[in-house]
Amino acid sequence: MDYPQTPRILAPHLQAFQHKTVRMIGRVVELRGETAVIDAGGTVDVILNRDSHLAPGHAVEIIGKVDGNLSLKVQAATDLGTDIDFNAIHAVVEATHRHKEIFYDG
Amino acid sequence: MNYNAYESNTTYGGGGGGGFMAEGSQNSPSGQQPKHETLRPVTIKQVIDGTYDNDSLKIDGATASHLCLVGQIRSIAVQATNITYKIDDGTGSIEVKLWKDTDFDPDQGPTAGLVEGAYCRVWGKPNNYNNKAYVLSNVIRPIVDKNEVSYHLLNATAVHLYYTRGPLNGSRGAATNRGQQQTDANYGGETMSGYSAVTKQVYQFLRSTKQTNEGLHQQEIAARLGLDPAQVAKAGDELLSGGAIYTTVDDQTWAIMEEM
Repeated sequence: MDYPQTPRILAPHLQAFQHKTVRMIGRVVELRGETAVIDAGGTVDVILNRDSHLAPGHAVEIIGKVDGNLSLKVQAATDLGTDIDFNAIHAVVEATHRHKEIFYDG
Repeated sequence: MNYNAYESNTTYGGGGGGGFMAEGSQNSPSGQQPKHETLRPVTIKQVIDGTYDNDSLKIDGATASHLCLVGQIRSIAVQATNITYKIDDGTGSIEVKLWKDTDFDPDQGPTAGLVEGAYCRVWGKPNNYNNKAYVLSNVIRPIVDKNEVSYHLLNATAVHLYYTRGPLNGSRGAATNRGQQQTDANYGGETMSGYSAVTKQVYQFLRSTKQTNEGLHQQEIAARLGLDPAQVAKAGDELLSGGAIYTTVDDQTWAIMEEM
């Protein structure tokens, strides 16, 4: 089975990637049961699934689909702990879109 | 001037020149050209988009004989002779085959920690079967510090830009290449600052004068430039310690250190 491309984005890119599957790394700000808020260059509402185990204050990588309200619907979430360099994350997202020929099609 | 202090340099300089030749002769029994081996950081999309030419993968026009990539393990299939990992880095997914030893135990040794969903770094050779790219791996290890993922993607981008746009402007490599392509008037202008006028003159003479691999002798340089041999010796001293030239057959014979 092939897995779809999941371009790395941040909050400001949500509009441009509506209804697409993406990858986003942010810091967990708030957990509200079935939803959560993360900070990923701006706050993003996240709709959790049963398997997501987010920890407040931790960095999390979410693979999910951007819905019509610009929320991120989780397909998979990976806890990245508390030692993530967000400047590097932002640099990777910038490289992804500036040099997309090596990151994603379209 | 006494150059005995440079005896070790002599060995280094001579060995460097000779070493290059020796490399060719070592490979000559099989009649093959020396292979250009590289280990390149890549995204999976680059491996999938790459072109195959005589079984070797080309990315951005450069042969990528070995790769390293970073991604998440999506599935693991243990086969008779290898373990096949499906790796996904967000830019695409690819099969990675890791050969296993007879006493292989997936829960022990280097493959422990390689579980579904885990990030890992893969080293291996690109391959192609029925137009489907896969990687034959020597080593896969789990990634502990997740910042390594960002690092790898930025590293892959930097190498991609190197091959598509050339080295960064202002780097020593770029400056020297420009110097070599253009006329002598522009040679290494940036790298030669800080040297005396005589030293610059000697360097320019070495650079622009037709010579063999052995370079030019100090006496010849002095005679042809009409300089005092002691001045030329001093200039050579400065250039040697600056890494701009190296000694060849003896301490008084110098050649230009070319940057790759």
